[in-house]
Amino acid sequence: MTRNRLLVLGGAIAAAVVAVVVIVVVAGGGSSSPSTTTTAVTQPGGGTEAKSTFEGVPQRGDTLGKASAPVTLTVFEDPQCPFCRQWNIDTLPTVVQNYVRTGRIKIVYRGVVVIGDNSLVGLAAIYAAAEQDKLWQMAEALYERQGGENSGWITVPLVRAAAREIGLNPAKVVAAMRSSAVTSAIRQSVNEAQSLGINRTPTFAIQKQLGTLQQLQVSGLGPADFTPALDQALQ
Amino acid sequence: MRLRTPIAVACVVGIAIAAYLTYVHYAHTSPVCTTGGCEKVQKSKYAELGNVPVALLGLVAYVTLLGLAFVRGVNAATAGVFVAAVGVVFSGYLLWAQLGPIDAICQWCLGNDVTIAVVAALYVVRLLTEESG
Repeated sequence: MTRNRLLVLGGAIAAAVVAVVVIVVVAGGGSSSPSTTTTAVTQPGGGTEAKSTFEGVPQRGDTLGKASAPVTLTVFEDPQCPFCRQWNIDTLPTVVQNYVRTGRIKIVYRGVVVIGDNSLVGLAAIYAAAEQDKLWQMAEALYERQGGENSGWITVPLVRAAAREIGLNPAKVVAAMRSSAVTSAIRQSVNEAQSLGINRTPTFAIQKQLGTLQQLQVSGLGPADFTPALDQALQ
Repeated sequence: MRLRTPIAVACVVGIAIAAYLTYVHYAHTSPVCTTGGCEKVQKSKYAELGNVPVALLGLVAYVTLLGLAFVRGVNAATAGVFVAAVGVVFSGYLLWAQLGPIDAICQWCLGNDVTIAVVAALYVVRLLTEESG
């Protein structure tokens, strides 16, 4: 009797262990994100990079910074592009701190598809967040989760998690991704890049008041390489 | 059936914790936290399984365990052991995630760990002592 019960007990526990392993492997695998997420959320100062970088900075649609800023920096990015990630994670916080917060420049995001179709899903999420004036936070949150190029890492569950992290309603973001406004915004951005002959990312362009859009040549994507080029362009 | 009351009490505690964390998840707010890591844990990828918040899964498990507490028989006790053991193993996995990849501790998760361990232990005792038939 007792032996039978112990066998039942052992069987139930073994079945539970197997069930959890299967659940974690099957369900967890779909929403897994690369280790960069952990790296990003353990930045000094606490909180996510996305939160601290953009907190208190005016943001409207695809534009970050004061509308009155005399110079516009336009950044052409692909959410799957590793160098775009590098610029966003390593350099954008410095640019925001020293140039955007001070009202010297505003930054405009232009999404392009250079790497593959999965980039379109990312752009849809980014422009969907733009409708709630959190485009830059969404771009940052996706870069923090960036996987291998064309590995299909930009999934709806991943977008949901990113939306939640930046304080947006995931369902609202996912619904907006399919909206005609978002599709139109992506098409407009891609068309602009094509008309300028931009086929690599990230590409930077500067426009001073009443001036034309000029490509910004940079020797590197780190703050030490990027900001001197920006300073020179601002003179 | 003599363990029905302690199992039910422990399940109610678990339901309260899981319900609160489920609310926090869907309300997009931060949980009350004294360990400083709750929000980080809550926003980590480990807070969801597929698209479902793990807090909601915990809530379903505790409600199931509470219901089984009021059903007589070895089969109900066995089912209770299975569900509680799934909870314990999964809680262990989440504890590993907190100590490792997430690098933050959530007091609510620790409270749940203790609660599910108590429920599991009670169900094990119930299975071994439940009268047949």
